[in-house]
Amino acid sequence: MNTLETYNAIFTETFQVEENVLDTDFNSDTVEKWDSVCQLSLVTTMEDTFDIMMEPEDIIGFKSYEIGKSILAKYDVTIA
Amino acid sequence: MSYFLGIDTKEAANIAAIDDDGNEISYGDLVLYCNGLQRTISSRSLVFHFSENSVDSLCLYMACMHAKAVPLLLSPQTERDLISSLIKKYQPNYIVAPERICHYFDGEVVEVRGNYKLLKLNSPAHRLFDQLSLLLPTSGSTGSPKLVRHSYHNLEMSAKNVSQFFGLVATDKAFLFLPMYYTMGLSVIHSHLKVGAAIVFTKSAMTDAKFWSLLKESSPTVLTGVPYSFEILKKLRFFRMKMPSLRILTQGGGKLSKELYDDCLQYAENNNVEFIPTYGQTEGSARMTFVEPFMSTSKKGSIGKAIPGGMLSIIDDQGYESFEGEAAGELVYRGPNVTLGYANSLEDLNLDDDRHGILHTGDLVERDADGYYFIVGRKSRFLKLFGIRVALDEIEKLINDSFELDCACGGNDQKMIVLITRADMTQKVSDFIVAKTGLFHQSFEVVYVEDIPRNETGKVIFNDHI
Repeated sequence: MNTLETYNAIFTETFQVEENVLDTDFNSDTVEKWDSVCQLSLVTTMEDTFDIMMEPEDIIGFKSYEIGKSILAKYDVTIA
Repeated sequence: MSYFLGIDTKEAANIAAIDDDGNEISYGDLVLYCNGLQRTISSRSLVFHFSENSVDSLCLYMACMHAKAVPLLLSPQTERDLISSLIKKYQPNYIVAPERICHYFDGEVVEVRGNYKLLKLNSPAHRLFDQLSLLLPTSGSTGSPKLVRHSYHNLEMSAKNVSQFFGLVATDKAFLFLPMYYTMGLSVIHSHLKVGAAIVFTKSAMTDAKFWSLLKESSPTVLTGVPYSFEILKKLRFFRMKMPSLRILTQGGGKLSKELYDDCLQYAENNNVEFIPTYGQTEGSARMTFVEPFMSTSKKGSIGKAIPGGMLSIIDDQGYESFEGEAAGELVYRGPNVTLGYANSLEDLNLDDDRHGILHTGDLVERDADGYYFIVGRKSRFLKLFGIRVALDEIEKLINDSFELDCACGGNDQKMIVLITRADMTQKVSDFIVAKTGLFHQSFEVVYVEDIPRNETGKVIFNDHI
């Protein structure tokens, strides 16, 4: 699996959605299920999977499918 | 007419509450607001109050209490069908709700405050027990019709005794993210208003930047959480944050992990803060025991001793009750904060005091020679998932009412296990539980079994699945 597939799989598992709904509009405002429990679970799985440790402001900032990619880039994880 | 929690006796200019929308209200204005609505809200009427953590939500709650109406506090996130069946069952006279869910209800708007509305419904007058003050659901989010009946005496005494053991004074300021409809959130509100202190309400998630800026800028003196909130706080480096105003860190709603307990203790030591773990139940108006801060190091994992005005005992498996010395068995609590009993129907709201100040908690405990209590298990059938009480019987009933299959719920506070007897239905049942209860899908697992495994006494065996 490449990093994009892995990244997508974490989203589909956390939010119980199909991969085709993951786009620029997939964020904490548009996804009803996206609460703090989901976000923490999402971030923790990202950390475990990519073996990184995020700063608090990045955990708080992890609020959309797109933003997540740029946050991971700060930790030298390229999603492609 | 006396005011609930004596709010009319506090310094009128002092702030009673602020929130993250920038609203605030003083004690003086709160009293004026309650006065103003006294004729609008009929005495001894029943109110469904959909509680957000906000100043407007608090004001309407206090106005109901002052008018001697009886509110049932509910989560605004409660699923619409569940709300409908609760309305059918209890026929409330009023609804207090945020604007966005007001279209659920067919009523006349009699008051608007900020984004909150008070609606009058066309329901008959009810006969409510004269001491009945407040109703809370027994189970977090399943829309359970089983309610806990509180008296006026319960709430006043609980507020008084809780504020006493925390040593709360008028200059204190509680930071409240626990929901108002949750017994411990409400206990924070009552105990602070009782002494003329302030409450900082937030409805932001801990993963929102707004939550953290309010936490820093509002300079709270008291912070209350459940184990899951401390997990998030830790993840977001709360324990590295300097909060010079903070003087009390307190916890309830289940047992902290050893690691988190130590983190709290360490934070308290380094920052000149008192760490006070507590234990309680909705049936005991939230708090029933606490650990004195000077004992939280030597009695790790203990729920401590009874709060002022309360008394603890143990009934062992021989039925023998003891009040001191080493013992093990079911925890029993006596005190003025023990609620009247349950209600399962509208008629039950006229019931008298069933408990007479004695509560059999259903929690299994051990007591050491120093008189400190430790929870070791639970007799009753419920779990605490993310601090929310989930009644297993309720979940089973919800599933049984909607699917043709056998099911059994069990598990532990980390994960609920739902056994069902149809392989093709696991995803459907899982989606159903999420939709009905709002539980996070990873906090439970639906497992297919051919038959529900039981031991010789008929008890369901979950061991293979945990």
